[in-house]
Amino acid sequence: MDNNTKGTILVVDDTRANVRLLAGLLDEQGYNIQFAFNGNMALTSVQRLLPDLILLDIKMPDMDGFEVCKRLKEDPYSSNVPIIFISALDEVLDKVKAFSVGAVDYITKPFQFQEVLVRVETHLKLRNLQRDVEEKNAELGQANQQLSKTLADLKATQDELLQSEKMAVLGQLVAGVAHEINSPLGAIRASISNITNALDYSLQQLPRLLTLLSPEERADFMWLIETITCNKERLSSRETRKLRRVLKKTLEEYNIDQSHLLAERLVEMGVYEDITPYLRLLKHPESMFIVQTAYNLYIQKNNGRNIMIAVKKASKVVFALRSYARYDVSAEMSKANIIEGLDIVLVIYHNQIKRGIEVVTNYEDIPPVLCYPDELNQVWTNIIHNAIQAMQGKGRLEIAIRRLEAMPIDPASTEIDLPTSTNPCIVVTIADNGPGIPLEIQDNIFKPFFTTKPTGEGSGLGLDIVQKIINRHNGKIEVNSQPGRTAFSIYLPVKYETKLVKNK
Amino acid sequence: MVKKAILCVDDEEIILTSLRDQIKNHFGDTYMYEMAESADEALEVIEELDEDQIEILIIVSDWLMPNMKGDEFLIRVHEKFPRIVKVMLTGQADEIAIERAKKHANLYSYITKPWDESELINTLKAGLS
Repeated sequence: MDNNTKGTILVVDDTRANVRLLAGLLDEQGYNIQFAFNGNMALTSVQRLLPDLILLDIKMPDMDGFEVCKRLKEDPYSSNVPIIFISALDEVLDKVKAFSVGAVDYITKPFQFQEVLVRVETHLKLRNLQRDVEEKNAELGQANQQLSKTLADLKATQDELLQSEKMAVLGQLVAGVAHEINSPLGAIRASISNITNALDYSLQQLPRLLTLLSPEERADFMWLIETITCNKERLSSRETRKLRRVLKKTLEEYNIDQSHLLAERLVEMGVYEDITPYLRLLKHPESMFIVQTAYNLYIQKNNGRNIMIAVKKASKVVFALRSYARYDVSAEMSKANIIEGLDIVLVIYHNQIKRGIEVVTNYEDIPPVLCYPDELNQVWTNIIHNAIQAMQGKGRLEIAIRRLEAMPIDPASTEIDLPTSTNPCIVVTIADNGPGIPLEIQDNIFKPFFTTKPTGEGSGLGLDIVQKIINRHNGKIEVNSQPGRTAFSIYLPVKYETKLVKNK
Repeated sequence: MVKKAILCVDDEEIILTSLRDQIKNHFGDTYMYEMAESADEALEVIEELDEDQIEILIIVSDWLMPNMKGDEFLIRVHEKFPRIVKVMLTGQADEIAIERAKKHANLYSYITKPWDESELINTLKAGLS
């Protein structure tokens, strides 16, 4: 509404005298007046400038007041403008019809001007109040929308934080993980070179060997090749040298030449217990050549096995990295093996662990747990990371998984009300033998941005994130810390139950 | 009988055997080749060979192993056997450890995994001469 006037009123009547009279009177009262002499003119006027109120005659040629009112009410643009009918017709039927098409009031001619004025003022006031409510509603709607967006942003930020925290941890581990890949790569590179060289020798040696050996000796040779087992236990250096000495002596007893070099190769190939099946070969004047030929075949087989193991090791690291880095916000809960998740984290930390941590695991048989596996991996990561840091890289890390028939109830907690009797759960306990968490800060460790680590090393979000993830699983986390043993126990329900949160 | 040996130390068997085969392929039966899976085992092997009057010429050792690390191990060896040529072969450069080994174990060379065969062999040849 225009602030300078009391409002704009459109007066519609086909009798010009009536229009003039009403317009003149209302104008004196400070209203801004528009007028129209027929239905079409009224509709056009409304389109040009929306009035705050319309005084509308019913009986007009072409389009009567009811029709004008109906059309204005049908258009959302003008539907909220209050309309008061003014007419000489005062039959009950017409009044009912007037209200049914959307009018707010009805004044009969001849009218008293004071009555018109009071009704106009009342309806304008009502209209203004309604408009206020509409505006407030719109503002509320907007505020609501903004809040929803802020909430969504916060959720996204939280997810990002979760991920960046994880990646920050990974960043600290990258050097170690690189080692875990470089080592098998080194083995693969050397093994391939060894295989290529040994193959070259074999290609030179085998034709000569075939002409050198009698059919019986050839059969012995094939037997030797078959016996060379690759899956033998590795002997210690001491055992190897002892076996070499024994075998050398045995060979000497058979008057076999070059006993030392033969013994060395035979022991390496795992041939030391009973050499009688090979005596014909060992007593052969070309025994060294025969054994060397077998040895070159053995090298190929053994280095091929090395490559297999190396590839498996590297794949394991890559798999762990991929599983660790993966983070699917929209992921649904799935049944997962908790032990596999812990293993992934232990692979990622293998390098750190190797530097001085003894890991003791004690896993009971546990059923798969309905969970967000990626998120749980972050829980294990955070706790194991903290444990290793608390022990300054040296100490004993115990990981135990147990089954419980029911989730223990914390008497102090009023937040979770679980049907405990029908809710078996598992407990993962991760304990270190570090100096412990000082009693005065134990209450703070789950608070966001609380950290005891130097700036740059910890975001202070680790355990806050852990707590949130565990809440999402309807689980709970307990910490029990004293000098020499800090244990975090994570309880997870095996079967997911809808969380019943008491409204506080 | 050969009385000189080359000792390889690494906690991963695949590294040990592939490394040993590689070195053996180049140096043949001139030397004995011994392997140890930890620094502790290596120290035992060194004592035994010493008792058997077998002279260790070169040690090729990993750095990151459980318990005793490569630098500490080589420093301990150096205290008793300063003449042994010491080479570190590792997948991860820990600068401080390398410096320590250079200073206190007279580290001859430092090679990273995955290693280049000719670099390794040339280093060993130079160390042996």
